[in-house]
This record gives sequence, structure tokens and C-alpha cells, in this order.
Amino acid sequence: MCKKLVQMMQGNVWISTNSLGFAQSMTLLLRFQIQSYIQRTMYAHGTSGEQSNSYSRFRGLRVLLADDDDINRIVTKKMLEKLGCEVTAVSTGFECLSAISHAENSFRVVVLDLHMPEIDGFEVATRIRKFRSRNWPLIIALTASAEDHVRERCLQIGMNAVLQKPVLLQGMAAELQRVLHRTGDGV
Amino acid sequence: MERNPMRRQLQVMRKSLFDQGYLDEQFVQLEELQDDANPNFVEEVVTLYFRDSARLILNIEQALERKPFDFNKLDGYMHQFKGSSSSIGAKRVKAESTLFREYCKSGNGEGCMRTFQQLKKEYATLRKKLEAYFQVARQAGPMETACRPK
Repeated sequence: MCKKLVQMMQGNVWISTNSLGFAQSMTLLLRFQIQSYIQRTMYAHGTSGEQSNSYSRFRGLRVLLADDDDINRIVTKKMLEKLGCEVTAVSTGFECLSAISHAENSFRVVVLDLHMPEIDGFEVATRIRKFRSRNWPLIIALTASAEDHVRERCLQIGMNAVLQKPVLLQGMAAELQRVLHRTGDGV
Repeated sequence: MERNPMRRQLQVMRKSLFDQGYLDEQFVQLEELQDDANPNFVEEVVTLYFRDSARLILNIEQALERKPFDFNKLDGYMHQFKGSSSSIGAKRVKAESTLFREYCKSGNGEGCMRTFQQLKKEYATLRKKLEAYFQVARQAGPMETACRPK
């Protein structure tokens, strides 16, 4: 039966015997197709089909994360990395602006906490939009507030999306998908 | 049904934390972020939370010793505290934080002090329970998947 199964898999199995006719060793020969890199990395992560999609969807997306709260920053960073993003995390508005102004670091998306001390998210976004187009980098604001006027103010300044904290993985994925899709980055 | 007795105990502890309202959905989110690259992610984040927030609690305590109360400052501290508590799914602690902020906004000093005492109690209880939980977790070894509490 084993032989039949293996032969159906385009392989073979046989037993080599010694001079006295006793089984000495068994050899199993199977053929495998080398999968492409993308397929391999997809299957390497996660268990459900849904999860494996999220790992490849944003692969290589360069994201700059600015949040002064250590816990939030670590959690959000891990979340973005789980979605396949390449994340640089900073803890102040100034570091954020500094990172963006360096030409080599071309971040596609900035995930920005609105309530940071010294220079808040609103100010950071305003300065980014002063020198950069509306679509590069994309700015996703993070706020604990559910108030409409906060959302309106964000959009007025030129941010592309507003996410309410605490952030869930699916929420972040959905928002990233939305803002990238709108700019025709075709995800 | 979990065969390993340690894992069963862990599941019981975990269910209890959710059923009794100590933790919410956000904790499950942390569990979902844990993977082979960061196998102790949840414990690390929770440990960091208790370390960081201890400072905030001290700040609030000191601020409550200065009369008259600077409600803006108090609210500011609590906003931060609520934020991180919320990120780890500390449901009861978060609820007390919300209440505290409401008292700040209405300038109710008595309410602030009362709520803060309650908050500290919840915070201490949560800390103890989570420490016990992670102790068992370390002994039990990795769980298969994060499961949503029914």
C-alpha cells in the first residue's frame, strides 16, 4: 500500500536486502516542487488563511511610527510588523520630522499619535504637508478621541485617515488598505 | 480539552480574568501579536506597562497632595495612564481612569481622590493576578492559539 501511495506521488520506495535475504534498509524517493519565495513565506506564518494574507499584503511597506507612549508604540510597531511593514519607531514629533526630512528614508506611511508632548500630531502633520504632497507620505492619525471635530481637523490638515485607539490589527490593516488603494497603490 | 494540567490551569486562569472583567479584547490582541519572533511578547508588554505606569501613579499621588488640585495636570497624567492601560486590555483599571477624568473635568476633588483609591486597588489586584498567570504560563509552555473568550 505504501508503494502504491508513493508511486501516486511520482516517487518510489524499495527495500534493499542483504545477502541472507533479510531487509537491511528502506529507501524512499519523493519529488517536490520548489515553491516561490512568496508562497513559502506566506505558509510559514500564521495558521488561518486570513492571517497568511495579511502577512504578504503590506510586505516591504515603509512605515514611520510616532508615539510617545512606550506601551502603545511597542504594540503598534509589532502590529505593523505583523502586517509585513518595515517600521521605524520614534517617540517625539521632532524625531518624526527629522526622520522624514532625510531623503534616504522615504516612508510611504506615517502613523502618528495626535497627543504627544512638546509638538503634537497636528503640528507634525501640518509641517509635513507644507513641504510634501497630499499622498506622500500618507498620514494615519491615532487618537483616543472619538469626537468628530478631531477627525475633521485631521482631514483639513491633510491627513489621510484617523484611527481610534486602542488599535486592533484588523482595523490597522483595513485603514492601510483603504489609504493605499485610494492613491492607486493597488494593494 | 487541554491534556496538559498546567495548560488547563492556565486556561482556567485566563477565562477567569476575562469573566471577572479584569481583561478585555485588547489583551487578546496582544496574544495575537505574540509569535515565534517574540514568544514572550505579552508578558514583556505587561511587565513594561506595570513599570512605566508606576511612575504615573506616583505623579498623580503627588499631584493629589498639592492643594488646590491642578485638574488639568491630573487629567493629563490620567489620559496617559488610561492610554497604556487600554493598550494591554486592563478593563477595570481603564474604567476607573475614565471616571477619574470625568471628575477632573467637573472639578470634583473628592471624586478624584475616591476614584484614585479604587483605581490603585484594581491596579494592584490586576498586577498580582497577571504575575501569577505568567508564572503558570512560563511553566506550561507555549499555547496553540489565542482564543476569544466565549
